[in-house]
Amino acid sequence: MNKVVEAVYEVQEASLMAGRAFARSFSRPLYLREVIVQMDLIGVGSLLIVSMTGLFTGGILSLQSAKVLTTFGATSQTGLLVMTSMVREMGPVLAALMLAGRVGSAIAAELGSMIVSEQVDAMRALGTDPLKKLVWPRMIALVVMAPVLTIIADFLGALGGWAVSSQLMHVASSVYISSAKEALTYNDIIGGFIKPMVFGFIIAVVGCRAGLRTHGGTVGVGRSTTQAVVTSDILIIVADFFLSRLILAFS
Amino acid sequence: MTAAPKSAIEFQDVTLAYEDRVILNRVSFTVAHGETKIVMGGSGTGKSTILKLVLGLIKPNSGRILIDGEDVTDYSDRKLGNVRQKIGMIFQEGALFDSLSVYQNVGYRLTEKSVPEHQIEESVRRMLRFVNMEEAIGLMPSELSGGMRRRVGIARALVGKPKLILFDEPTAGLDPPTARTICELAMKLRDLEEVSSIFVTHRLDDIKIMSSAFFAYGEDGQVEFQREDERLCLINTRFLMLKEGHVIFSGTDEELWSSKDPYIQDFLRAD
Repeated sequence: MNKVVEAVYEVQEASLMAGRAFARSFSRPLYLREVIVQMDLIGVGSLLIVSMTGLFTGGILSLQSAKVLTTFGATSQTGLLVMTSMVREMGPVLAALMLAGRVGSAIAAELGSMIVSEQVDAMRALGTDPLKKLVWPRMIALVVMAPVLTIIADFLGALGGWAVSSQLMHVASSVYISSAKEALTYNDIIGGFIKPMVFGFIIAVVGCRAGLRTHGGTVGVGRSTTQAVVTSDILIIVADFFLSRLILAFS
Repeated sequence: MTAAPKSAIEFQDVTLAYEDRVILNRVSFTVAHGETKIVMGGSGTGKSTILKLVLGLIKPNSGRILIDGEDVTDYSDRKLGNVRQKIGMIFQEGALFDSLSVYQNVGYRLTEKSVPEHQIEESVRRMLRFVNMEEAIGLMPSELSGGMRRRVGIARALVGKPKLILFDEPTAGLDPPTARTICELAMKLRDLEEVSSIFVTHRLDDIKIMSSAFFAYGEDGQVEFQREDERLCLINTRFLMLKEGHVIFSGTDEELWSSKDPYIQDFLRAD
């Protein structure tokens, strides 16, 4: 199979997997407990890295933009630049990249290990549908938790930006806050929800597919993990471009 | 006139190939109710593949597979769910769920069916007693030895009292006493519970004990281990030998040991 055919085949298989997991999710058992467990693992478990990423990204943005804005005597616009960058791009993309690294890789490794140790076969032999039990809860958990984590990253980014601009760049807090408020539009808020939902879906589907197609023992698990992260990262960036284009077209 | 009893498992000309590599080539055999079919052959001859085909985990390229007379070859995963309820599978390394305790592993099938907790505990304890592992009920799979994992795997497969058990090299890599314990569990199921089974192995020790001894209830009602002798001959254990995806032998242990086939002779001399 050449690379193009292989890529098309993978897209087809991943789509079928996601479609089947969704279609079967309405029949009993519903595995709500699994969904809650995954939300806890993904959401609470990723809180620290996403928070740190948001906080320091906001700080960096503030540092860089205030420096440039000083040239034009427009440091009062620091909050606007920080918030626009955070909510529109940096928050969703960086939170998603962090999730791909932490959660996508963990999903691929866990499912891959289950495949090579025949646990998925055992599950099927015991009458459980792995798509319902393993894929669906992870998909739902990521689609729900990615926007929540992104909002936290955005908020902490704004906080980091404020701390840097007020303490290091000597911009008054009230000026920073009012320009930051000014930056936000409804489209930004809607986009801030839609983007991470799409990114969460990408991470879940890529991670689950990479895990479930694992072969070749423990070496295969390592390969699947790497593939999951690299593929998710690329798809997140590509999807971000098209989503940004779409959101801008509607604004 | 009574209808002929249906076989527990029947393979009719089953062929499986991955691209140009043939795994099974027109394999046909039957497993009668209450019979144990010991499937032998070297590594990579398609022994474990047969078990996965029975469960419907993989589909054959051609041929038919019948379970209890029902043709399940083209069943979807959902439809196979009912068939799989009748089957217990013991995987090579146990295939226990790492994130679940021994209790949760053994009770998995019942938990999935939302059976009340007290009934699950009762079944789990009964099955763990059968494999002599009740003391491990609260442990995690990572805390178990290889032999213990296999025995927990057997307990898990037996929950729900399936009448068909598939053993995928359950003794591979185990020390002789533990391997013998596993074989004796399979023999108890065969002799006392009238369970039909396919027992995949390439160990001669397994073959010898399973074809020469049995369990029966003594006069005092206790389970006794007995040897086959001139008075009694085991008829519920038969053999199937595979070589490069082909069935090269199917018959009783006497026929196996007296076979003139050089591959079989070589195989039986290997120990």
